[in-house]
Amino acid sequence: MTPAIELNDLRKQYGRRTALHGLTLSVTPGTVFGLIGPNGAGKTTTLRMLVDIIRPTSGTARVLGTDPRTGGAALRRRIGYVPGEFRMEGRATGRRLLDFYTSVSGPVSPGRIDHLAERLSCDLSRPVRTLSKGNKQKLGLIQAFMHEPPLLILDEPTSGLDPLMQREFLGLVHEARQNGQTVLLSSHVLSEIQQAADEVAVLSQGRIVAAGAVDELRLGAVRRIRAVLTDADPNAVRGVLAPLSTSTPPEVRAQDDRVIVHATLEGEIDPLVKALARFHVAELLIEEPDLEESVLRLYGSASTDTPTAMGGE
Amino acid sequence: MGRLLPITARSLRDSWRGLLAWALGLTAALALYLPLFPSFGSNGSLEEIIATLPPELVDALGYDQIGTGSGYAQATFFGLIGFALIVIATTAWGASAIGGAEENGRLELDLAHGIGRVSYVLENALAILLKLVVFGIVIGVVVGILNGPAELGLEASGIIAAIAALAGLGALSAAAALLAGAITGRRIAGVAAGAGIAVYGYALQAVANQSEDLRWVERLSPYSWAYSEAPLESGFAWGIAAVWGVAILFTGAAALALRSRDVTG
Repeated sequence: MTPAIELNDLRKQYGRRTALHGLTLSVTPGTVFGLIGPNGAGKTTTLRMLVDIIRPTSGTARVLGTDPRTGGAALRRRIGYVPGEFRMEGRATGRRLLDFYTSVSGPVSPGRIDHLAERLSCDLSRPVRTLSKGNKQKLGLIQAFMHEPPLLILDEPTSGLDPLMQREFLGLVHEARQNGQTVLLSSHVLSEIQQAADEVAVLSQGRIVAAGAVDELRLGAVRRIRAVLTDADPNAVRGVLAPLSTSTPPEVRAQDDRVIVHATLEGEIDPLVKALARFHVAELLIEEPDLEESVLRLYGSASTDTPTAMGGE
Repeated sequence: MGRLLPITARSLRDSWRGLLAWALGLTAALALYLPLFPSFGSNGSLEEIIATLPPELVDALGYDQIGTGSGYAQATFFGLIGFALIVIATTAWGASAIGGAEENGRLELDLAHGIGRVSYVLENALAILLKLVVFGIVIGVVVGILNGPAELGLEASGIIAAIAALAGLGALSAAAALLAGAITGRRIAGVAAGAGIAVYGYALQAVANQSEDLRWVERLSPYSWAYSEAPLESGFAWGIAAVWGVAILFTGAAALALRSRDVTG
């Protein structure tokens, strides 16, 4: 089957600055592909090249089997695109904006726009310039999803959305996948990609540092721990924690009659919970570090020239 | 697929309020200036005032023919206030069509949809052209109405030629603004180019009027191409076509410029 997106050694240079160092990836039709990486990693640059907003310095891109440089308007009608920064001004209402994009990229099935607007609780009768960032973003989602294109390219699609709407968005992505649409989305929020995507590529400083099936990347395996124990001896706590795979020795300190533990854990959570259970646990906080931290921790500095291939076929 | 000329249609729909305001402004300018001609243009009193002004100033402003109806309409409206109003309007439209759209993010979204870049520029240019046609009709009707009462004695062919010349200068500024916006992606560059070419043409024409030795300078001025043959008096001249020709060239260049570069916003 022809990949929905196929990039081969795609490079982008802005003057002397290289935004993208030879990107190679392939997205299987009917799947959800996540592109994650810290801000400035090259996600937006990549996605913009797929809709011919910017052009690669070298390398090739195939989108739905066609080079975006030559595919023109006909190719872009088959793509739904949410730009990284959805800014919209003007006196026109949301509905008029959507009617306009229907006229250039339609057809849109009757009732589809109202259905989407209702799901995202987006008021289409207000002038676009009076909308909050979140509501503008909803319009951005509607204009991408409304004509049910075979390919959706979504750059940070949930930025500005509240958690309820983020869940609604995940529902939309899920449905699109069930309809056989392909989705490529970028995010700097790891959990979002983990919930939505089948496969993922991790981008850092213009390079893919890891790629594969979401579960196999174990990006979520790095966790930051904070625990407060009572009735404990700091040395005993240190002894119990020592066998655990922490990236740096856990920080254990006594404060009054409590022992406070800070650690960054790699791998399974179970040994830690069992270890702490020997003491009286007053507080336990386990949190996902930000993406930048986990990417860099897992895949080293971004200067690695060869991407670590994990999972995939 | 979709409607015919969607960008042109959107542009016109989004800017009809502005268009109406500009048309009212042009009407007000005509209604203020032209009816004054009988009271001090044709009876020589304005010429007396002008005789007291420095001759260089009179030449620069083109007030030397102000005693005739066509000279008066040219010096007050077509060559000065109407020219300024139309150039300001078309420069603003041309600068925001691409440079402005790129800055506010609209261009990226538009071009990610089923719209080609060349047609994007051409449809925006067409919208500006249609608005100029509206201006032309408004000016033609108002001048036609005032012609008799204001004792201007203008011929229809002269009015039409002068409107074509004025609209051509507007189109030229719009096209220069489009081109600069298409090259740089910045609205301010478009404003500078549109206003710049108007000021350049006007200034060169003023210099050329200072002496016969400097007369050749007017060959470099689009303003002179449009007006040096006194279209209100003598009708169509090829210089008017030349102004439109350069405007068309600039528009084509704008389309090519936008087609060949990255859109960054």
